[in-house]
Amino acid sequence: MPKVSSKLAAAVKCSDEFNAAACMHCGICTAVCPMGYEILPRKLFRYVQVGLEDKVKENIPNIYSCLLCGMCSENCPAEVNIPENVRFLRKYINENEFNLS
Amino acid sequence: MAQKRRIGVYVCHCGGNISDYVNVEEVADAVRNDPNVVVSRTHMFTCSDAAQQEMIDEIKEKQLDGLVIASCSPKLHMFTFRGMSERANLNQYQYIHVNLREQCSWVHTNDKVGATKKGIHLLRAGIAKCELTVPLNAIRIETKPRVLVVGAGVSGMRAAISLADMGLAVFLIEREAEAGGWALQTGKMGPEAQDGTDVVAKLLTRINQHENIMLHTSAEVVSKSGSIGDFNVSVRLPGDETVSLNVGAIVVTTGFEPYTPQTDEYGWGAPGVIPLKDFRQMLAEADGPLMHNGKPVRDVAFIYCVGSRQLKSESCPEPNSYCSRYCCLATTYTATLLHDLEQKTGQPVNQYHLYRDVRTYGALEPIYEKARTGGAIFLRWDPSNPPQVTTEGDQLTVKAKDHLLGGEELEIGADLVVLATGMRPRENDTLNDILKIPESKDGFYNEIHLKLRPVETMIDGVFIAGTAQGPKTLAESVASSLAAVAKTGGLLMKGYVDLEPLIAKVDTDKCIWCGECLKACPYGAIEKVNVGEKEIAFVIESMCKGAGPCVPVCPHNAIEIEGFRDDQITAMIDASIKELETK
Repeated sequence: MPKVSSKLAAAVKCSDEFNAAACMHCGICTAVCPMGYEILPRKLFRYVQVGLEDKVKENIPNIYSCLLCGMCSENCPAEVNIPENVRFLRKYINENEFNLS
Repeated sequence: MAQKRRIGVYVCHCGGNISDYVNVEEVADAVRNDPNVVVSRTHMFTCSDAAQQEMIDEIKEKQLDGLVIASCSPKLHMFTFRGMSERANLNQYQYIHVNLREQCSWVHTNDKVGATKKGIHLLRAGIAKCELTVPLNAIRIETKPRVLVVGAGVSGMRAAISLADMGLAVFLIEREAEAGGWALQTGKMGPEAQDGTDVVAKLLTRINQHENIMLHTSAEVVSKSGSIGDFNVSVRLPGDETVSLNVGAIVVTTGFEPYTPQTDEYGWGAPGVIPLKDFRQMLAEADGPLMHNGKPVRDVAFIYCVGSRQLKSESCPEPNSYCSRYCCLATTYTATLLHDLEQKTGQPVNQYHLYRDVRTYGALEPIYEKARTGGAIFLRWDPSNPPQVTTEGDQLTVKAKDHLLGGEELEIGADLVVLATGMRPRENDTLNDILKIPESKDGFYNEIHLKLRPVETMIDGVFIAGTAQGPKTLAESVASSLAAVAKTGGLLMKGYVDLEPLIAKVDTDKCIWCGECLKACPYGAIEKVNVGEKEIAFVIESMCKGAGPCVPVCPHNAIEIEGFRDDQITAMIDASIKELETK
């Protein structure tokens, strides 16, 4: 069973960059995503918000395949800055998974 | 039929509601030549001012001594026409209401001929009943300008102050040694961040200064007698001193009991699994980062609906099926308090809120919004899959399924599991035996009608308010206690109350006191009295509601309900089948 990581949850919570609190899980972002992955970006963001680090790691290829095209944020009714959130995620993974800084 | 009567009959079209299916002219014609009928007419709307004035004029002019109106349900217009009768100098209890709409036209829209025939039967029965009516007068009871308020929580105190402001003398009694109730333990309350102890202190100051309020703590009700407007209540004060209070009304604000989870319910009993109240205490006392077991608290799981909205199961044979109303507000408000502490100490605390439905209704929604945008994670659970709390050493784990991830399972390692426990009705058998207020299926005191008569009980003159009636937030409790004040004031400020005279009547010759009627009466309105050598039943007028369970159980037919006497009922049956016999 995937475990909630206190560290990721706290990092997300304390970050000014990652802000998906306004997300209402309507799924428009997923529908318009040109990459067509089921996980991007709604489900991924839920994993991040809840702090399911294992699930986030499983999806590293998806996170890096995002084009940052901004279709999702353009269409988001809750005005979540989705590409910015993806950048935050990449930074977190670079630091904590690939030990880059 | 004993004597000749002069009865007026009026049949209403109800603007088509009746006349579309019942031929009202035919109905009026059918009874026009009946022996005691002086006049029989139809009106488009009998309830209209013009029609009422015409009827009043006709009652006076033709000196009618009985009135039958065939129209809608008596629930709607019986009191309208009773008032009209009085204005025409006709005793209001000599007016009979026949329901030609709900009981005839609306239910027989497929059979106009049959509906008309039935209309005639119903009207004949009404006339037969009217022929046997006698003039009656309302029972007038003088009310005492004093009130007993049982329970000095916030609801009770607020009610006492407003009643006293009206000029009524108020006795406020509290079982505990201190007035204030649960508000003393809540700390800061949402949405306005008022402190419970401050609220109580302010109310207490006003109570102590008010010359019309007498507050007794450590006091209990020991007995009650009398009825609306004139109760005698004995109250035991500390030191076994008993005082007798004569009051016109009683307001019951005895409050609730917090729900205590069963062992192992959401890990209850394990260290670190605490009720919301205790967590709030921790928050209030924290002067730095939140600590538990000597370690800083990093993850907190809140579980909602503990002891509320339960489903019946083997482990829960008597579920609390109701919503406790305050917990969503209190828990989301706690989330904002925790955010504030986080800001102050710089130590992040992850909050996981496992909820069923967030019911921060009305103006409370911004609190939920604030909790959510502050970073609290809300995870919805389904009653078929409640969260599981397990312990390993001092590590608590909550397993849940996330609704937004399509039911994916996840595990939350928590330092604290906080249970938002609901409200239970207070167990107070002694008081219940004395007051005899009916209880709802949830065990709270039952109001007469949740929307239309929310603070009145089946016992006239006894009102309920606050959480004694059902779970409420503090604001709702105060609103209901002020509603009870309005009702109590309405009853007592006038100085008297008029009660329906359609009540039980004992035939003193026939009665031999077997006690069956006493056993049948749910209102305790029957007493044994001695008349000379003989013991007979006596009806306490102010307590009898004319419900009638005493009538069929009497082996000697010695008791009857005025307005529904045996001779009237028999006459109604005879009259309504008259046509059938002659066919």
